[in-house]
Amino acid sequence: MIPLTHYLTLGAILFGLSIAGIFLNRKNVIIILMSIELMLLAVNMNFVAFSHFLGDTAGQVFVFFILTVAAAEAAIGLAILVVLFRNKGTINVADLDELQG
Amino acid sequence: MDNIGLATGEIFLLCAICVILIGDLFVSENRRQMSYLLSQLTLVITLILTWVVAPETGSATAFGGSFVMDPMSKLCKSWILVVSIGVFLYSRDYINARRIMNGEYYTLALSGVLGMMIMVSSSTMLTLYLGLELLSLSLYALVALNRTDEKSSEAAMKYFVLGALASGALLYGISMIYGATGSLHFDVIAAKLGEDSSSTAAVFGLAFVVVGIAFKFGAAPFHMWVPDVYEGAPTSVTLYISSAPKIAAFAISMRFLVDGLETAHASWQGMLIILSVLSIVIGNVIALAQVSIKRMLAYSTISHVGFILMGILAGNDQGYSASMFYAITYALTSMGAFGILLAMGRAGVEINLLTDLRGLFRRNPVYAAVMMVLLVSMAGVPPTVGFYAKLAVLNAVVQADLVWLAVLAVVFSVVGAFYYLRVIKYMFFDEPAETQPVDSSLDVQVGLTINGAAMILFGVFPGLIMAACVAAFAG
Amino acid sequence: MDFKLFVFWVFSLVLVGAAVGVITTRNPVQAALFLVLAFFNSAIIWMLMEAEFLAITLVLVYVGAVMVLFLFVVMMLDINTLPAREGFTRYLPVGALVVGAIIVQMVFLIRVRWFSADDYPVPTPRGADYSNTEELGRAMYTDYLFQFEVAAVILLVAIIAAIALTMRRRPETKYQRPAEQINVKKEDRLRVVSMDSES
Repeated sequence: MIPLTHYLTLGAILFGLSIAGIFLNRKNVIIILMSIELMLLAVNMNFVAFSHFLGDTAGQVFVFFILTVAAAEAAIGLAILVVLFRNKGTINVADLDELQG
Repeated sequence: MDNIGLATGEIFLLCAICVILIGDLFVSENRRQMSYLLSQLTLVITLILTWVVAPETGSATAFGGSFVMDPMSKLCKSWILVVSIGVFLYSRDYINARRIMNGEYYTLALSGVLGMMIMVSSSTMLTLYLGLELLSLSLYALVALNRTDEKSSEAAMKYFVLGALASGALLYGISMIYGATGSLHFDVIAAKLGEDSSSTAAVFGLAFVVVGIAFKFGAAPFHMWVPDVYEGAPTSVTLYISSAPKIAAFAISMRFLVDGLETAHASWQGMLIILSVLSIVIGNVIALAQVSIKRMLAYSTISHVGFILMGILAGNDQGYSASMFYAITYALTSMGAFGILLAMGRAGVEINLLTDLRGLFRRNPVYAAVMMVLLVSMAGVPPTVGFYAKLAVLNAVVQADLVWLAVLAVVFSVVGAFYYLRVIKYMFFDEPAETQPVDSSLDVQVGLTINGAAMILFGVFPGLIMAACVAAFAG
Repeated sequence: MDFKLFVFWVFSLVLVGAAVGVITTRNPVQAALFLVLAFFNSAIIWMLMEAEFLAITLVLVYVGAVMVLFLFVVMMLDINTLPAREGFTRYLPVGALVVGAIIVQMVFLIRVRWFSADDYPVPTPRGADYSNTEELGRAMYTDYLFQFEVAAVILLVAIIAAIALTMRRRPETKYQRPAEQINVKKEDRLRVVSMDSES
């Protein structure tokens, strides 16, 4: 039998990898967007696991809504990416240097 | 359906959004004022509806406990709507002059307002998350809406990536709290956690939730996006981001930390102390070095967020009401300051540098006076409202036996006063670069003057807002 | 090791491998395909937890729509993949260390301090007559109606935003105007010129 901690560990590893993907990626904004999808996948893994082990539907409902929002978020993120590409002709992270924060 | 009427304001707002979206298609290019007028009308009616349906005392829930109407949500929603009315008024001429798509602009901005109202009224973590995403997605799009501007799209991209990261952290925290307590409802979570919850798995989730909220709030050390977005976004959108969402962010902090996890107060107090100290220090010190007025106001926002968090971390009713007062009055102040920048920059010129404000007194004495009152209020000098807001927060912190924190905050506020005074010097004592007077529509002039006068009025009679803030947490 | 545990290990290892692939590969198309692989593996792991509806949704919505959108944008933008990833290798040691520390700490807290098997026993499998879809559907349209409506508004905002940001009217594009086409009269197109016949 698979204990809860196995699933949560898997979720934690995915979460950590997606954070690494966002912060280490110096090349390409689109891969950062994919890392964000990966992060939401990690969260969904946690919710499904808790929902299963608690015998409660709320967790699965939450995952359903996260999937919906993530689809909307991907659409807007890619739209912003396209606008950025039209303006700058590149989506390299290193070229996003006009605003220095 | 039980009590569906409690959400009448939200339902009306949503219907109006659809009407404005479709109506805009059928209106010719030169009669686009219609979208603006309809939006303002919508906000006013929503405000009235919110007041009408809110229960006189106590709280009521609807939709199976997903939606709550209590004194805090009534007050926060009212001020969010009032601030939004001002924001739309100041932005109108700016977006008309820059030919930013009117219908889409107002639709997205109103969706953001709807998102804030849902956040404020949420009583489960799911509703809160959805409201937050509705606001965030509208804001990402608004920042990028000036499509041909390189800076805007870059700012939007940065905002999007960091905002999505924050949502991810918040969700991870929510999943842990759900796993530890088995519920998404704040009241059930509070009941499950019992008396002392400092050592449960919920606290592990709490750390992620605090990181997520700090990101959305723009508190240091998660403030990286704030200056870039403030500078890169069209000024009307900067105005929007810097005002009403701060009230909503305050409300969700209260929902999570007080409604849900109040028994873990010892755990989150420490985290908030770090955030608020860093915000006040970083905000005030780095603002000194800025040459751009938008970036300077961005760092000033960070330091004010530090004060709002300080009221929450005090952990007593006095602190909560002081923090709420601070959030509301800061939204009004920030709205006025960016409103002046918008009014100055409408002739196709963008106001970005501090030196652009040179000699404003010669060009429009009324605006210079209003801006002075607003800046003095941000610096926290009596008799303006900023002074009273800071005083109330510091008072609560001292009550909570955190005297060192209060002293530190005062010291850095004094440091901060310097850069506000520098702007006032530019406005009053320097020669203007161009001599043509600053002029704008009559309603904007009236609005800005009232905005400036309100800073002094609420400073002298803070009870006008404070009484309601205190009442919201007295129950 | 029973069969379920074996399945879990196989698919979770492939999942972690795919996730590493997403963040390390240089080519965005490869990254997107790795992400698709990750979604497929997650779907199977969710199946192990009796979340059948979500598992299918993940494949249909994510792989079928969202990832296709990603691939579409990658192809449309024609992004070059050639320059070496100088930044990546520079930050890699520090970054890997920090991220590794975060993961180890999270895993430690999860496995050792909280969520022990005593508090969260493995639930007994549901019977064959249990319908996950039906239960989710019932919850969605009753208890979560308000959230369902809000999610609809979020999708509306996404549509408005995506169109407002990316739609542009190209002046060089040629349109057909059917109304004008069918209203054309003979006189508009044909001119009868009387000419002297040359003989």
